[in-house]
Amino acid sequence: MNSYPTINKRKGVKLELRDPMNFVNKFIVLILSIFTGLFISFIILVLSGVSGSALWKEFVVYIFTSEKNLSSVLIQASPFVVAGLAAAVAFKARFWNIGIEGQMIFGAIAATYIAINDIGPGSVRLLLMFTAAGLGGVFWILLPAFLKIKLDVNEIISTLLMNYIAFNFLLHLLYGSWRDPSTGFPNSEQYDVFEILPLLGWQSLNFSSVIAVLLVVIIFWLFVSSRFGFVLNVLHASSDMAKYMGIRVSLVILIVTVVSGFLSGICGFLVSSGIESRMTQSFFLGFGFSGILISFLARDNPIGILVVSLLFATLVIGGQSLQVFYQIPFAMVQLMQAIIVMCVAASEFFIRYRLIFSF
Amino acid sequence: MVKINQNYKIKMEKITKSFGDFLALDDVTFNLDFGEVHALLGENGAGKSSLMNVLSGIYAPDRGEISIDGKVVNINGPSDSKFLGVGMVHQHFRLVKSFSALDNIALSINQASYYTEKDNLRHKILKKMDEIGFELDLDNPVGLLSVAEQQRVEILKVLIAGASIIILDEPTAVLTDEESHGFFKIIRSLARSGTSVVLVTHKLKEAKEFSDKISVLRNGKMVDTVIPGELDDEALINLIVGEVFKEKPQLSNNFGEEKLVISDLNLHRTNHAMGLTNINFKIREGEIYGIAGVGGNGQAELSTVLMGLTKLNSGSIKLAGYGDITKFRTDQRRKCGLVYIPADRQKYALAGELSVADNYAVSAILRGDLGSWMGVQKLGKQRSTSEAIQEFDIYGVQRLNQNAALLSGGNAQKLVIAREFSSKPSVVIAHSPSRGLDLKAAAFVHKQLLAARDAGAAVLLLSEDLDEVMLLSDTIGVINRGRITAEFASPADRQKIGKAMVN
Repeated sequence: MNSYPTINKRKGVKLELRDPMNFVNKFIVLILSIFTGLFISFIILVLSGVSGSALWKEFVVYIFTSEKNLSSVLIQASPFVVAGLAAAVAFKARFWNIGIEGQMIFGAIAATYIAINDIGPGSVRLLLMFTAAGLGGVFWILLPAFLKIKLDVNEIISTLLMNYIAFNFLLHLLYGSWRDPSTGFPNSEQYDVFEILPLLGWQSLNFSSVIAVLLVVIIFWLFVSSRFGFVLNVLHASSDMAKYMGIRVSLVILIVTVVSGFLSGICGFLVSSGIESRMTQSFFLGFGFSGILISFLARDNPIGILVVSLLFATLVIGGQSLQVFYQIPFAMVQLMQAIIVMCVAASEFFIRYRLIFSF
Repeated sequence: MVKINQNYKIKMEKITKSFGDFLALDDVTFNLDFGEVHALLGENGAGKSSLMNVLSGIYAPDRGEISIDGKVVNINGPSDSKFLGVGMVHQHFRLVKSFSALDNIALSINQASYYTEKDNLRHKILKKMDEIGFELDLDNPVGLLSVAEQQRVEILKVLIAGASIIILDEPTAVLTDEESHGFFKIIRSLARSGTSVVLVTHKLKEAKEFSDKISVLRNGKMVDTVIPGELDDEALINLIVGEVFKEKPQLSNNFGEEKLVISDLNLHRTNHAMGLTNINFKIREGEIYGIAGVGGNGQAELSTVLMGLTKLNSGSIKLAGYGDITKFRTDQRRKCGLVYIPADRQKYALAGELSVADNYAVSAILRGDLGSWMGVQKLGKQRSTSEAIQEFDIYGVQRLNQNAALLSGGNAQKLVIAREFSSKPSVVIAHSPSRGLDLKAAAFVHKQLLAARDAGAAVLLLSEDLDEVMLLSDTIGVINRGRITAEFASPADRQKIGKAMVN
């Protein structure tokens, strides 16, 4: 009766709520969880017959010692960056745009329409294609945005389904009127030289990297410094409060969807004019969905999107070598992406709770 | 002092609990007798909730001893306290809104099989309801029930789980006067059947009226335990706040022109919301127009209609200097100088995951102060926030970047008021502005409303607390089923207002 404390600790593992974590610790947890994801992927690849040393070479040594491979990574990263930004902008306003893929397709279709019909003088052709691509993306998001704002239709469903319409429409074009007349393949004809993003002069690096970096800077300013970014933060934190403070929520969502659609369209343009030099079916690579994952991993932070995109691009380029030299299916790259994302999602748990072991 | 009875239901002795440097409970001793209703009074942050969280196993105390039925017990978590017969009804209900009352109760008691036991459980519940004398719809989703009914589900939950000690945290904060009376009848009949009840509350009146004993906490210390009849209000308030404290009405003597004229407002009734019928009233400059009424009679609808958040079906709103503002959007109305203190500040007035500075500066930034569209002035934001924190005496802000969710009720409300009054408002709409606040914080809120009035604003005060309406208002309207049924000039007769509220 007279001994303190009277509260016995129970044996076993216990969960305890943490105080809210500061930014630095959160960042450390994020990095650790990405590495955990990479480590699990590493084990799976080893189990499927690729030796550890081969993985080290393909994903690290060959990429960072060869200028050619490094530039491939940078080229691959640009559409990832822009798709990530498109996702981040929409997510900031809690508009879950799952239709980046479809908006990319329509962006690329609009750019290709300008290119194969030779609209406008050659000197401004790229600018026209750029603008058309953005507007094509906007076109493809307007219907879901309108449904959301006017009728409160769930945008996750509508944007997702619009992807399939866009993709089948693309196939319709490529197997129909846009089929390359010279080869008969289901691609559009190749763009003219002045319809392809110009090289920067180092390896095969081209102007798409410049566009991606510029967009990162603009979106960074928009989020961190501008008044509209502040409004987005308020809306993100509480749409009720935003409404009560007199923020015109519908208008903000409309602006955000237009920007997100525009960026998605640009992303499609970077793939068709920056990588493929024609309209292909390569959107199967899943840039749009990768953009969503990238934005999630980067917590909607534009600089983070840049970094994560480089990581994803490295996985893709390394994965391509694995495909060629070790007959590992390319789906393995998507598997790795998914494992990383799951690890990061799971890390939320450790941000909120502390495990206490007592034996 | 109360006589010592060795055979208490619960003895909590020398309980100490600290959070970091903050001593939430300092050597607190609390005894609960069989079959008594024991009120626990104190200001926000006095330690009431902490003490009850220790009893219900949510917090482990640093030091101290708890015995139940004369035996020392170890409470290592909520499941232990539940096993020992302690049930807590939280201020914010823990119900699955889409489940029926029956399913919510089934969920909370860990029975062997949901399907085979369901009929048994229903019988058990019906019997219990019969015993304590209340009615409840067991089969529709609890989300469709009124707040008072949801509370009954919570009480049933703890009773069916076999609780012999019930802790009620601010049970009447969400109830109307009428509902509160019904509620206390139930509580009394529970106590008669041997259940011990702890009533955590701010409200002096209900503690005096409905409890057998009152214990007062202040700054984490137990100040005294008294019998309700022993002390008058002033002495009791003295125990709670440590100084004599009573607000006196201060009527306005300086009415100006008619500022806000509301004519023939109509809003159709929906499943979720009371309608409004032919609402007419005028507020002059320098006047507080109080709207008294039982909660849920159209107060929320009236305030949101005036702010342009709900579209009305017919009628007009005129504001001196701006003419007819009926068609104005919320942002346009705010530009005209309307400000709004909504009843649910956590949901509508603040964003918990945004910083204190962001929550404060949002109105200024939206007005276009503090920078341009190109960039928000971060320094200006910080500076104006720290000035407001000084001026409005907001405690608990360690850093301007800390989340607003960490502020206590009173300080959160001060932050809301600081923001809404940061531009000189021409019309103030305040809905239950001191709900859930302790006496000091409520007095602060009242002072701010009076100051706005004296500065020439037209103030509309909608409150379910009749004392508050009578204390502050220059004119009192009574709202009943979406109509203004009576209007009185202050000082008005309390009985007459009360009658108009329930007729």
